[in-house]
Amino acid sequence: MESKFTEAYQKAPDEGYETDCSKVSEMLDLVIDGEATSEEEKFFNTHLEECVSCFESHQKQKLLKGIISGHLKRVIVPESLALSIRAKIQETL
Amino acid sequence: MSEQTGKQLSKEEKDARFEAELLPVLDPLYNFAYRLTLDEDDANDLVQETYLKAYRFFDYFEQGTNAKAWLFRILKNSFINEFRKKSKQPAKVDYSEVEGYYNSEDVEGEGGVASTTDMRTESVQDLIGDEVASALNALPVDFRTVIILCDLEGFTYEEMAKILDIPIGTVRSRLHRARNSLKEKLEKYAKTMGYNS
Repeated sequence: MESKFTEAYQKAPDEGYETDCSKVSEMLDLVIDGEATSEEEKFFNTHLEECVSCFESHQKQKLLKGIISGHLKRVIVPESLALSIRAKIQETL
Repeated sequence: MSEQTGKQLSKEEKDARFEAELLPVLDPLYNFAYRLTLDEDDANDLVQETYLKAYRFFDYFEQGTNAKAWLFRILKNSFINEFRKKSKQPAKVDYSEVEGYYNSEDVEGEGGVASTTDMRTESVQDLIGDEVASALNALPVDFRTVIILCDLEGFTYEEMAKILDIPIGTVRSRLHRARNSLKEKLEKYAKTMGYNS
């Protein structure tokens, strides 16, 4: 059912809808990174309420960002580093 | 006339401000260096060099401006220069070895009666972390860089543009391509983890 819908939609796109979807898809990163204006965000959210495929793209993109920020381990700074930076600076003076 | 750039600071002033404004960035800066070089020694050298340069040019650094972005920019430029010098080095993907550490907070509670679900969750977390690291490390360095700056360090597009010395439009398109590339690499894995329907 859903794929049929997508197919039909791709073949004979409602012009307005296509524009909205591509607009929203271009806004994805902006919204996820908190760089969208409030107007853009409003448009984005309104569209998401009526478009499953854009809703899903948004979920995926959000998930990806979350995976990076939440699961990538941070390396531990060697304790000696700050000391050797200070020492080097005094040396070169 | 408000505060001028290039005014001479006394050594004491300089040292105090260096400690207060620049050294606190050590942790993110080292992590950035490590993600760029994928080597602990190289990251060490790069960070030291960055701080030496920053100290040398400290008179030009305006108080109150973004110290973190400034240091990241210096480091990124040093990396590009170093990278050129070292010619084409094959990417080191030894991440699994060097990443065998835990956040200090996570280490606590090992003596406790960890339930099986907790243990399972923890190993899954590690697994995801390793997978993400390997996917990220496999990206071209320009792609890796924008993802680190944006998703790990939380820089704005504008700050990223300043750090990388490229227009904001380029930041956006590069980030978009980087994410697509990363998504591709992680997709298969994500499916097995049940993230994808």
